Amino acid sequence: MLASRNVFRQRRRTSVSLIAIIGGVAAMLLASGFFEWNYDTMREGAIRARIGHVQITRDGFAEGGTADPLRYLMAETSEDRKLIEAFPQVDTLAPRLSFTGLISIGDSTTSFAGEGVDPEREKKASGALTILSGQDLSGIDANEITVGQGLADNLKLQVGQTVVLLANTGSGGINAIEVKVVGIFATITKAYDDFALRIPLKTSQRLLRVTGVHTWLVLLERTGQTDNFLAKLRPLLQTPGLSIVPWYETAAADFYNKTVSLFSKQVLVVKLMIAFIIVLSISNTMMTNVRERFGEIGTLMALGDTRAKVLRRFLAEGAVLGFAGGVLGSILGVGAARLISWVGIPMPPPPGMANSFVAGIMVTPGLVFEAIFLSVTTAVLAGLYPAWKASRLNIVDALRHAR
Amino acid sequence: MSIVVLEHVSKEYRLGDHMVRALDDVTLSFESGVFLAIAGPSGSGKSTLLNVIGCIDMPSSGRVVIAGHDISGQTPDQLASLRARTIGFVFQTFNLFPVLTAEENVEYPLLQMEELDKQDRRERVKEMLELVQLGKFAKHRPSQLSGGQRQRVAIARALVTRPELVLADEPTANLDHKTGEGILALMRDINRRYKTTFIFSTHDKKVIDAADRLVGIEDGTVRILGVRKEGQWAITNVARRAASTTDTEAAALKR
Repeated sequence: MLASRNVFRQRRRTSVSLIAIIGGVAAMLLASGFFEWNYDTMREGAIRARIGHVQITRDGFAEGGTADPLRYLMAETSEDRKLIEAFPQVDTLAPRLSFTGLISIGDSTTSFAGEGVDPEREKKASGALTILSGQDLSGIDANEITVGQGLADNLKLQVGQTVVLLANTGSGGINAIEVKVVGIFATITKAYDDFALRIPLKTSQRLLRVTGVHTWLVLLERTGQTDNFLAKLRPLLQTPGLSIVPWYETAAADFYNKTVSLFSKQVLVVKLMIAFIIVLSISNTMMTNVRERFGEIGTLMALGDTRAKVLRRFLAEGAVLGFAGGVLGSILGVGAARLISWVGIPMPPPPGMANSFVAGIMVTPGLVFEAIFLSVTTAVLAGLYPAWKASRLNIVDALRHAR
Repeated sequence: MSIVVLEHVSKEYRLGDHMVRALDDVTLSFESGVFLAIAGPSGSGKSTLLNVIGCIDMPSSGRVVIAGHDISGQTPDQLASLRARTIGFVFQTFNLFPVLTAEENVEYPLLQMEELDKQDRRERVKEMLELVQLGKFAKHRPSQLSGGQRQRVAIARALVTRPELVLADEPTANLDHKTGEGILALMRDINRRYKTTFIFSTHDKKVIDAADRLVGIEDGTVRILGVRKEGQWAITNVARRAASTTDTEAAALKR
């Protein structure tokens, strides 16, 4: 109360400090909001194109599945599946069968990583998968495939061509089928597109001569619901030997996790630099503020305020300044973020991804909170030395400054 | 009971390369309830004497006992607490907090007395503002008040904790004559009614005339002690006595 009145008593000086803080906070929000947008896009892209929010598999599939996929088959439907689908936050459950094999057209043959999917359900589960040409799979039993961009380029595949798929069967033999390429797709992960093809589930089961699936891919309404859903689901599942893996623990999320931790460090450096600039630009003003009020400080102490109280008073003024600057800076930052996102930031293709994109800035409540917290601590920090100085004044000397 | 006791108090401080002796072996004691003027030219040490009595300055040597508390060896926080509860200050430059209204200024010293709740504080503040005849100006900021009104607020602020001792450093120096006399009359009135001890420094003859005790100080030593009874000053000239002692000794040497 008293602190805020004192802060706004010197309008011009306070506004100089405020502008420094507001500018810093807005810059910080834009920087971290830009990275947040990228994290979010990457995360949601990976989840909605490929990994889902929760994957339910047989125990050990994540480790041994690539070498021997047929050992880890589970039922396509069961009581558990009905139970999961009954959760209100579950958007869809997509069964998938993963396998590897060889794809041939004419004289060219190469290996592929195939996924047997239910096209109806994948419409939701693969929302972030883009069909570049042709169309998506038409039915769960159709003799057709869609091919990743890199794999199609490798074999010079065109939409409408017929290819042969060759794979090991469940009984140890080899089987081949002819399928038609109906579409070419891209995800945000180039490494996946270079080897992937998608095939209707029943067709893949026919190729492998099996009946089960490997994964139930659960897609929730929102990513934030994942942990809550996991906690509720875990005690309910009846089939023994199932593992429930949230998206962030899958191998495919590893790239995302590492990117986030790398860039978070870089954003941290940016934040520290901005905090440092704020400290530099306002600490001088705060010292002037203390120096001008020597007489008042002397009076406070003559009237019986302890040194600690004087110190707290000036720190509180710093906090008020930091909070006001933080709030105003956040308003400016959010406004600027909206504007910049509306215009769009053209970006080149990132490493490991296929296409260039237009980025935006995403300012989450968490970022705003963090920015305000940082501006308050920074302002308090900048005021620490002046406040300490104030609290150590000799009363008689300080009173001499009173006018 | 003596509310202020000074025994052989000296105060030295460094000014550039020089050591200045602001107080030189001062021994004094005042009874509770006096209305005392410390008079002397500027640089005589009267402000230092007042600061030492107010526990905002520590003596270089000697003993200071204020309202029964020996202040030597006390920590800054202990002294702060002593000031908050037993001493009120009135300054030459008023020193009100510019961002607070008159009543908030008066309330300020009460905020550190945890035993008072909001209601108690409000009552006391009201009572004090009435006492200094500023009840109507409770919501005014210092910048909206005249010099005399500001000094009245300051007096209310000094009195609100019901201190045993009020120290006023040249309280009328920044006021015109008429206003200054009003302020003096107010303090005198409070002194009579509530037996609050007032000690003020001044070099104004009119202020001295309002006092009932006088300490004349020059070059850091006490020269004059005055007591007024029934309008007549009984002056003890300390310096002359010292001088006469020297004269006697000089005479003795001649003999």
